[in-house]
Amino acid sequence: MAEDLVLDTAIRDWVLIPLSVVMVLIGVLRYFVSKLMRSSPTPDAKMVKEGQVVIRARNLKAGANFIPPKSFRARRFYFSNEENGLLHVPKDQASNPQAQMFSDPNMAMDMMKKNLSMIIPQTLTFAWVNFFFSGFVAAKIPFPLTQRFRSMLQNGIDLSTVDVSYVSSRSWYFLNLFGLRGLFSLILGDENAIDDTQRMMQMGGFGFDASKSLSAEKDGLDIIQHEWALPRFEHRAESVLRKLVQ
Amino acid sequence: MVTKTEERELNQLENQVENGGGGVWEYLCLVRKLKVRRSELVLKHGLFILNDSGKRSALGPDEWTLYEQVAIAAMDCQSLAVAQNCIKVLQKKFPESKRVGKLEALLLEAKGMWEEAEKAYSILLEDNPLDQVIHKRKVAMAKAQGKPSLAIEHLNKYLEVFMADHDAWRELAEIYVSLQMYKQAAFCYEELILSNPTLPLYHLAYAEVLYTIGGHENLIAARKYYASTIDLTGGKSTRALFGICLCGSAIAQLSRGRNKEDKDVAAPELQSLAASALEKEYKQKAPAKLSLLSSALRSMKL
Repeated sequence: MAEDLVLDTAIRDWVLIPLSVVMVLIGVLRYFVSKLMRSSPTPDAKMVKEGQVVIRARNLKAGANFIPPKSFRARRFYFSNEENGLLHVPKDQASNPQAQMFSDPNMAMDMMKKNLSMIIPQTLTFAWVNFFFSGFVAAKIPFPLTQRFRSMLQNGIDLSTVDVSYVSSRSWYFLNLFGLRGLFSLILGDENAIDDTQRMMQMGGFGFDASKSLSAEKDGLDIIQHEWALPRFEHRAESVLRKLVQ
Repeated sequence: MVTKTEERELNQLENQVENGGGGVWEYLCLVRKLKVRRSELVLKHGLFILNDSGKRSALGPDEWTLYEQVAIAAMDCQSLAVAQNCIKVLQKKFPESKRVGKLEALLLEAKGMWEEAEKAYSILLEDNPLDQVIHKRKVAMAKAQGKPSLAIEHLNKYLEVFMADHDAWRELAEIYVSLQMYKQAAFCYEELILSNPTLPLYHLAYAEVLYTIGGHENLIAARKYYASTIDLTGGKSTRALFGICLCGSAIAQLSRGRNKEDKDVAAPELQSLAASALEKEYKQKAPAKLSLLSSALRSMKL
């Protein structure tokens, strides 16, 4: 093992602290920029209606046994008949979200804005860190770590002899990038914290397909066996009253 | 919905505020958060803060929220001049705002200038056709003008999109009942039961509508829903107890000519039990009116 490295205090003053401060400042700046660019989403009537239909169908499924059989059958027909039932999605109309996205420029625009506000500052700061601070050992963690952490903490230094508890400047950048969320939620208020990790996940699962949930609800409704619960209630009411009277 | 603890907190704050113990702003915030209607108090205390420039500026940006709150409360209390002043201040601060536009339309409505208000609302709707508040205001306006059929029309249009809004269904049911359109009202109450199957209020209202429609089948169903109300309230609902008695006698009258097998045999004791539960309740709570009850029950042949 190598002997202990002595870190120059100038590295602390000119690398470690500036890097952290810059990351925080950029995070705050990005929050305000994205706030400026954010367009309030205008809900589309069709989508709102589909959501509401799903809720109502779910209610029907959950409470089916509380309404008379005739009413239930009428409602089921209303929801799931093959001609114009609310939950029935004609095959050709089942739009896929991808096509929808391209047909609606606003949607694509929104995505672009979101991504721009995320990607541009990140590439810039990464380039900046790479250019000025590459190869620095910026800090030392006060406890020993196993070799596995080498790729996490010593990104950018290809020396296997350096102890793992030393942190390279590029790794310090990544730690800040992902670790400052708690600080942002303190500075900017809870719900305002920009969460990169979450955003990245969102990008993968973009596009909510309403027709899928509609047809799932339809299948659910179709297989329900309606059994009116009310006749049972008469007996229960009887026993309740009997207890009350005595 | 306001929970018990929230209500207690609210009442406590209200007492404190009324007795001059401070905490006015906290009280106003709580009223706003719980969406309760305490217009007179809000008007009184809110105006007190607004008239004091030191206190007002201490609020920072919340000042404008308070203006809005006071404006609405003032309209509710028919202090239209106060409302007008508040809205004017807001208008000056936010000239293009839709939210202020809504307040202005609301003021027109409060003044009874229906046509102008209607026009203002439709302009706002053009901007955002899915604004639930405006749709509901239109219904309220139709009701205020004494045009229930127009209100029904608006509500139907609203429910076509926002069909999971059970408050709207309830409103619609009540309007239908007031117009004696019981079949339609029954449909709405079914919808309400679906949205909240364990709320006895809806069961009771549905039973009453069914009873009013009449007919053997409906009466039997009504009796079942009265029974479920009793079960859900633990026998505390006097109205449901009376309903059971009434249903029983109505069914007996209708099926007098029929043969015995046709009769509904489920829980035959229910009626007499309901009657004795009623008697017991009257004995405990209103002994003076016991004779009235027993004569009423006698006329129902119980």
